[in-house]
Amino acid sequence: MESSPTTRALPGAPDDSAAATPAPVAIWARALCKTFQDPERGRVEAVREVELHCRRGEIYGLLGPNGAGKTTTLRMLSTILAPTSGTAEIDGVDVVEDPLEARRRIGFLSTSTGLYPRLTARETLRYFGKLHGIGEGPLEARVEELVEAFDMGAFADGRCEAFSTGQKQKVSIARAVLHDPPVLILDEPTTGLDILASSAMIDFIESSRARGTCILFSTHIMSEAERLCDRIGVIYGGRLLAEGTLAELQERTGEAWLDGVFKALVREARGEEPAG
Amino acid sequence: MEPPAPPGVWRATWWVARKELATSFRDRQTAIYAVVLPIALYPVMFWLMIQGVLLVQGRREHLAVEVGVTGVERVEPPSGLAEALLRPPREEDTPANTPEGEPLERLEATWLEPAPSLAEAWERELSAEEPELRQDALLFLAAEGEGPSRIAYDSTDTRSSLAEQRLRKRLEAFAEGRREAAAEARGLDPRRLEPLAIERRNLAPDEEMGAYILSILFPLLLVVMTVMGAFHPAVDLTAGERERGTSETTLILPIPRVAVHQGKILAVCASALLATSLNLLALGLSAGHLLEMIAQGKGFVIELPVSALLSIAPLALLFTFSVSAILTGVAALAKSFKEGQALLGPVQMIFIFPAMTSMLPGLELSVGTALVPVVNVVLAFRGMLRGDSLPLEYSLTALSLLAYAVLAILFAVRVLSRESLGVADETISFKRLVSLLRSAASAR
Repeated sequence: MESSPTTRALPGAPDDSAAATPAPVAIWARALCKTFQDPERGRVEAVREVELHCRRGEIYGLLGPNGAGKTTTLRMLSTILAPTSGTAEIDGVDVVEDPLEARRRIGFLSTSTGLYPRLTARETLRYFGKLHGIGEGPLEARVEELVEAFDMGAFADGRCEAFSTGQKQKVSIARAVLHDPPVLILDEPTTGLDILASSAMIDFIESSRARGTCILFSTHIMSEAERLCDRIGVIYGGRLLAEGTLAELQERTGEAWLDGVFKALVREARGEEPAG
Repeated sequence: MEPPAPPGVWRATWWVARKELATSFRDRQTAIYAVVLPIALYPVMFWLMIQGVLLVQGRREHLAVEVGVTGVERVEPPSGLAEALLRPPREEDTPANTPEGEPLERLEATWLEPAPSLAEAWERELSAEEPELRQDALLFLAAEGEGPSRIAYDSTDTRSSLAEQRLRKRLEAFAEGRREAAAEARGLDPRRLEPLAIERRNLAPDEEMGAYILSILFPLLLVVMTVMGAFHPAVDLTAGERERGTSETTLILPIPRVAVHQGKILAVCASALLATSLNLLALGLSAGHLLEMIAQGKGFVIELPVSALLSIAPLALLFTFSVSAILTGVAALAKSFKEGQALLGPVQMIFIFPAMTSMLPGLELSVGTALVPVVNVVLAFRGMLRGDSLPLEYSLTALSLLAYAVLAILFAVRVLSRESLGVADETISFKRLVSLLRSAASAR
């Protein structure tokens, strides 16, 4: 099914009319909720009423500690999990009504890199390319293009299980952008990476923004969020406590650094007195 | 730019299955269980049987057998035959050369009353009032110009088989001696003279005996090999995938989830089918060579008709689908490879224990048993190997297997579709397993 263009007016969507030429909204979530039934803990509300949007050419960072609901939110947006309630759209496609169409528009990168250990880098790219519907000729050309772009020539025919963390990350990124998606969802993309691999990942995220890709990524690394994000959403206990540019969040909390901003917002959510 | 259109469900299923199968067979354990074991099983098993046969061979050498010699009234036994029958053909078996000073492979020959034919002489033996006086085998001497002399024996009887072997060896040695003597007397090359013609007549239903033995072993082994062929890929493609953290990347593919799940089941099934096919092939080859070595003169004849294998194939295919789907569905409940193995251990017994019914005498394929899972397939295999003509029962078995296969696939797809199993890191408990199985079974 063909999706509609991304510029259509959505109920409750951010108002673009005031902006000069705003980039189209590529990720839009409204009142997203996810509830799990846990055998030990009973009913668990992992995500509650999360609302966010992210435009093309923008980096949105979802900042929160472990267990805050970051991964669950990203999984709902990327259609891996179905929301319990609420709605979300990717590039104008409803993730619940048409998850297949939504997935065509997403490049997803998980914390674990998620590579099949017994496939080579080239086989991995070919497999995902085929299932994205890329024809044989263009696929071969695209695979070679990515092998060259990510400097994978030396190990492209080796099995992923033998790769270093940095090599795995390269293959993983290549797999995520293989079909040239307008939206990238990255779940803690620098976790477990060494300095070089981490730096390469940050370069990749910045270059993707420059190409007009909408990037939503989760992190608990404050410096990363400060450096990369155009806007930041602070998530805690499944709730999005606040969102905005770093300057807006600083202004709201009166804190100079992002860790201070985060702590202030958590205290506020708990109903505690401000520090100092 | 509009993203490319992804493939349809069946094409995606095929690509997923191909990839899963390729990666599965790059796993050493899967390759061993699906390929190496089926090929090696029968030769190893039969080699062990041969060793067993050799072990008891020593005892058999000490066993004395009795042979009755008869013929039509006008037949005169050749001179020297009586002595030749008593003498072991191998010099090392004579009393002077044995450690105990006793002859090995003893044969005692008794001259019986003449009989009009071999069949009548044999009947006379069978109707002997005292069974212990019955001859183990008969040598029926032919009159001049009336065809070959014949040895009658019962291959289902160990003593009778032994008697036939020993008698034949002695007769061959005697005939060779006579031929050489005659050739020498005439100044001819012995090879220019016709050897003494001797014909063996096994009066036991050999093929039935061989088929019976095969029909006891084969269905059980086929079930075991199918389960073993499906076991590792089932765990590897489900619990293994969760453990490796690749399930998320699979779920983000722009293809229907059902294609991913079907692809997995298809890959497991292909692996199990490969194991089953190699099993059939190895059995066919072994039956043709190694089994023949054991069977020859040991009391039975083993034949594995191609027609029996071909008739088994469709049932084996349906059974493989059921096994693969059930094992895949159950393995999907585990979060790690180790947990998957532990979970499937008892589950494979659900198939193997009922398969043992193939060894139960008296239990036959009927309208009732044709509907009992696993039992139906082993009894059908058994019937087909024996050549039983049971069209209604075979058809019912096929239909019930088809129904079970469809149910098993639905169950597996349902379990695999549970999002909590796709990405959650939960540990399986017995309570949770029961609740998941119940919800999978009751789901639409």
